[in-house]
Amino acid sequence: MANIASQRIKREFKEVIRSEEVARCSIKVELLDDNYSQLKGEIAGPPDTPYEGGKFLLEIKVPETYPFNPPKVKFLTKVWHPNISSVTGAICLDILKDQWAAAMTLRTVLLSLQALMASPEPDDPQDAVVARQYKGFPEIFISTAEHWTNIYAGGSRKKEEYSKKIERLMGIGCNMDQALVALSGCNWDLDKAIEQIFG
Amino acid sequence: MNRKPTTASSSNSLPTDNSKNNGDEKDKGDQMFECNICLDTAKDAVISMCGHLFCWPCLHQWLETRPNKKLCPVCKSGISKEKVIPLYGRGSTNQEDPRNKVPPRPSGQRAEAETGSGFGGFGFGDGSFQVSIGIGAFPFNLLVSAFNFTSHNPSDNQVENDRGPVISKIFLFLAFALVFWMIFGL
Ligand SMILES: [Zn+2]
Ligand SMILES: [Zn+2]
Repeated sequence: MANIASQRIKREFKEVIRSEEVARCSIKVELLDDNYSQLKGEIAGPPDTPYEGGKFLLEIKVPETYPFNPPKVKFLTKVWHPNISSVTGAICLDILKDQWAAAMTLRTVLLSLQALMASPEPDDPQDAVVARQYKGFPEIFISTAEHWTNIYAGGSRKKEEYSKKIERLMGIGCNMDQALVALSGCNWDLDKAIEQIFG
Repeated sequence: MNRKPTTASSSNSLPTDNSKNNGDEKDKGDQMFECNICLDTAKDAVISMCGHLFCWPCLHQWLETRPNKKLCPVCKSGISKEKVIPLYGRGSTNQEDPRNKVPPRPSGQRAEAETGSGFGGFGFGDGSFQVSIGIGAFPFNLLVSAFNFTSHNPSDNQVENDRGPVISKIFLFLAFALVFWMIFGL
């Protein structure tokens, strides 16, 4: 890895550890290797959002050309959000693409992701199904995102009705992830979800 | 950074935290002069019109990465090689010729004291052309100064009248030799 990249991550790592966000347990960064090219990030779901109470893990890969090019970041924790793929965790965020600037840091990236969670941009979606629900059925979107946060990120809000429908599908041979994706994508219409999986 | 030092020492049981806090305060002073790209103390420092400090090599690489969209890495205002100002600290910078470094740092612009000359900034005639041409190759600089010399010659032909032509011929010969060297020797 190029020297400037690892040198910078080393400095940034210290910056994040000392930051007040870490003191508030709002963000966290962990090193995964000795040459500072792989990190694990963690952000707390922002308050007053469906993600509140959840912990979201992120994969951070630092390219050799960092900081001239952005780090590659994706969600490891499954999340229901218009700008994050519900399947792969890929993120659609301008600063991770063409709006990247060399003075941005791990800390600003994590804070930007938190801000993205708090205010989705459905007109520039990563997950079209989620974006459609966000625009067309905002209440279902909120309860669905809360349910995902409960299952995958440790949040406390969930819907009993949703849990039962998931169990129904699991009873006929689906695994949990599959059932959740299908039901969420069909606005929790059980028949449609069954048709989608088996039809 | 996290709390006031007084409360930090009482609430934090680790003795190392105290010394670290002192280090932080010292760091804060130094951070003023840290490059916004490598986060290290700026080397061959330049400053943008928007007031942001960089190492010239760092900024150059950033501008090379996005040649079509040259924005300040901090505030995203427009930025260009021509519009950054090199910072020369006392003593340290002049010891090494910045042209020997790749990429060369843009030269300082010496504005004329009188306000009349509208051409002061560009510096074609005063030798700073050598730096701002952006190649940094030694032979090329010599070549430029050789031509400068000859062009100056006719204007002040009192003292240099006898020696001038000889030297300029030598320089011209050198220049042509270098041109040949550059064309055929590579
Ligand atoms: Zn630098
Ligand atoms: Zn700026």
